[in-house]
Amino acid sequence: MNREGAETYLRLLGESELREPLAAGVPQAWSGGPGGSIARMMAVAQALIAVGALDAETARDILGNFELAAAVRRAQGTQGAPGAPGARIGSVTRPGAIRFAGGARGIAEGVLRAWPARSMPGVAQPSGGIQGAEGAEGPPAGGPDRFVAVGVTVPFDRGEVHLIWYTHTAAGARFKVMWRTREPDSGRSRLPGVLPIEEFSAADERGGRYRLHVTAQGGPEWTVNLDVHPEPPDDISWLDICAPGGRKTRVSLNATDQANPPGPPGPPGPSDPASAPGAAPEIREAKVSPGEHLLNMLAVRLLTIAPEFPHDLRLQLAAVSPGPLTNAAAGLGHVIAALEAADVLSPLSPVPGRLAALCASLRVSGHGITAPPARDLPEPWLSLLAHYHRRKPESAPTSDGCATLAAVLPELDGVRLALLSLDNSDGSTVLNVLANGLAPDGHGAASAVDMHFSLSIWVHDSGGRWHATRPSNWHWADSECVLTLHLVPPLAESATWVDVLAVGQSAEVRVRLPLDWGYSP
Amino acid sequence: MIFGTSIPNGQWFDSLPSCEAQVPCGEGRHPVRWEAGSFLLPEHPDVEGELVLAALGGEKSGCVEVAEAWQRHGADLSVLAIGPRHPADEIVVGWDDVAAARPGPVRLPGSLGPPGPAVAPGPGGLAQHGLMRRAGARPASMAALGARRRQMQAELELVERRRNDMLSLLALGYGFQVRLAGQVAVAHEEAADERVRPALVAAISGRLAPVAEEWLGIDPGQVVVSLHTGPGWGSVELTGRGEERRLRVSLPAGWLARVWACGMALTGRHLVVAVQRAGWPDARVLALRAPGAEPVELDVHGAAGTGDAPHWEVRGA
Repeated sequence: MNREGAETYLRLLGESELREPLAAGVPQAWSGGPGGSIARMMAVAQALIAVGALDAETARDILGNFELAAAVRRAQGTQGAPGAPGARIGSVTRPGAIRFAGGARGIAEGVLRAWPARSMPGVAQPSGGIQGAEGAEGPPAGGPDRFVAVGVTVPFDRGEVHLIWYTHTAAGARFKVMWRTREPDSGRSRLPGVLPIEEFSAADERGGRYRLHVTAQGGPEWTVNLDVHPEPPDDISWLDICAPGGRKTRVSLNATDQANPPGPPGPPGPSDPASAPGAAPEIREAKVSPGEHLLNMLAVRLLTIAPEFPHDLRLQLAAVSPGPLTNAAAGLGHVIAALEAADVLSPLSPVPGRLAALCASLRVSGHGITAPPARDLPEPWLSLLAHYHRRKPESAPTSDGCATLAAVLPELDGVRLALLSLDNSDGSTVLNVLANGLAPDGHGAASAVDMHFSLSIWVHDSGGRWHATRPSNWHWADSECVLTLHLVPPLAESATWVDVLAVGQSAEVRVRLPLDWGYSP
Repeated sequence: MIFGTSIPNGQWFDSLPSCEAQVPCGEGRHPVRWEAGSFLLPEHPDVEGELVLAALGGEKSGCVEVAEAWQRHGADLSVLAIGPRHPADEIVVGWDDVAAARPGPVRLPGSLGPPGPAVAPGPGGLAQHGLMRRAGARPASMAALGARRRQMQAELELVERRRNDMLSLLALGYGFQVRLAGQVAVAHEEAADERVRPALVAAISGRLAPVAEEWLGIDPGQVVVSLHTGPGWGSVELTGRGEERRLRVSLPAGWLARVWACGMALTGRHLVVAVQRAGWPDARVLALRAPGAEPVELDVHGAAGTGDAPHWEVRGA
């Protein structure tokens, strides 16, 4: 890796941008002037940081200096005669006045950070020993992490609670639940209402008694995590949930991790790599460079944004703004050149050509990729492009529902994922995963590169369709994060199983999971 | 009072005349002066005494603040990233702008204290999604949060001061800007390792490219710069044709100080690559008539130009 080359590229890009006419503008990648320049430099900086070719502190300095350099020139070029007094500079350099300034801070915190350290999977035990992130307490003494697909409905006097999964990790023991309450007049369950959790309790087979507490995590408003207090022993077999009204529902905690069933897992057969549902995960060493992995992630971003902004809509909106699809593609040429300068992307790599072909297929211009469009696009990309060009899915989810998964994947690029559930709701599908190994910053930035999540997660359903995923929600509990991945396109409820493919820089992991569409809120 | 002589800068400035600017100080304006590599405060004969008073709670004068900023950034590569690339690259920052950009205390959201500009939440996302927040945070977490807030506050103030420093230095005008750039370049010419090479390459590239455009008519984007180390002045060669045409230039960091900052990069249609005998207004330089040609010695004569930018002519030409 050529870190000096990476930094030099970013600095020279700044010099090149400063030579262009500067005009006032918002920092959008498609726009001219300093706004577009900053956005392009941000995209390149994020890419270089993500692959580890540039440290965030240096990037902050470069971008902060560029921002100020552009501001003092823009002020002169667009507002009044040079030398005229006024608030020209003050108006653009006061903290917060320029979007990215102070930006040195805004950029600093969150957007620019390296992806987690890369490591080969298969070293750690798939279902145990998840280590918390920095500063976290260790896992419960004497016991491995536990992930249980529960799928039990607990009725109570005013509604019902559906327990989706149970986890017991270093962050504690908790259920993920969905609930609904009945309207007093009709008895119908429409809105989630208020969950009277203080009236619930739990007991284990040894006589241990517990209280349940709602924590902040969740996806839709009717899903929350219920922490179990005090922390139960690692090896309890069941919990009785005592609900308001005196009902007691027994919840078995002996269910196995679907991806790691008991007994020696046999190697997947070559003709059926994912093997049968419930088989052990298949691990393959990835044969992509860090730069190629990053570009593939950017391709996923384009593929997941594209359906929301079809070409005819983009044409209608063109007068206002080219929109996020064009924004996501802007600067790709610079990103590719920067990755080559950093020696993390071979000039002979086929991936830039694939990206060019993808942009052409999506009719996205302004990307700046100089490689000729490639003809050999990966199968998942083709599947999504076919969906995009059909304009509407062949089969939409028929109804809302939830399929519990509770499968733990081996560590991948320093990240441990537990697949929790697939939720269909309002015509969209999300995959809920529990992630360890992420740092609690970096997400949520509207940036070309997701600096927080270095994996791309694909879903291949039993109908043969591929679904890309895009992180849409993050819910932290100490060192763990419940991550909501939005599936594009949505998953049909007719799917009986899915292959979940987690692709990291070092390797990829595939696991086949049966789907049992159960609880519907 | 001489201020800022503690930073060694050799004799790179011998080809530069002195320059002067007016700085808001107290109720009026005072002159500050750059001369032979030093930043001078003619109206403040006892700077040390003023600094003692300031440390005891007195107000620091505007002149001293600017001089301190000059000293703080005498080896700061950011000066090269922000400052002017050529005389036409005019940066107009007035003292009114500096005053307007100077805010009150920066305040983080949720912190106590007087109102001030709010800053977006930092990492960790104080905002929580979901139906309700965690009932109670652990004391250790609160302590960590407090420490992080304090750290962020300190960092913000540092960023703030740095920005204000930069604006003040830019407000001194082009003459001071290029002289400070020269001082920074010289500060790094002896130890141009991998930590500073990218910044120096970009600094030379950004300043040489427009000169090359004027010299050869080449697109500035086709100028490829590397940092020359070791004996000799470096190299300049033209390769390729059409879009593949490149002007490949290798120059030492000191070129920025001894040649560019002194305003003699392009003199008499020659690209000046080194100074053999520095001096004002007469100097002897090593210059190229064309890429790939052997450098020739030229005796040059300088005159005061606009904006404290010297203008050089080849003697006898």
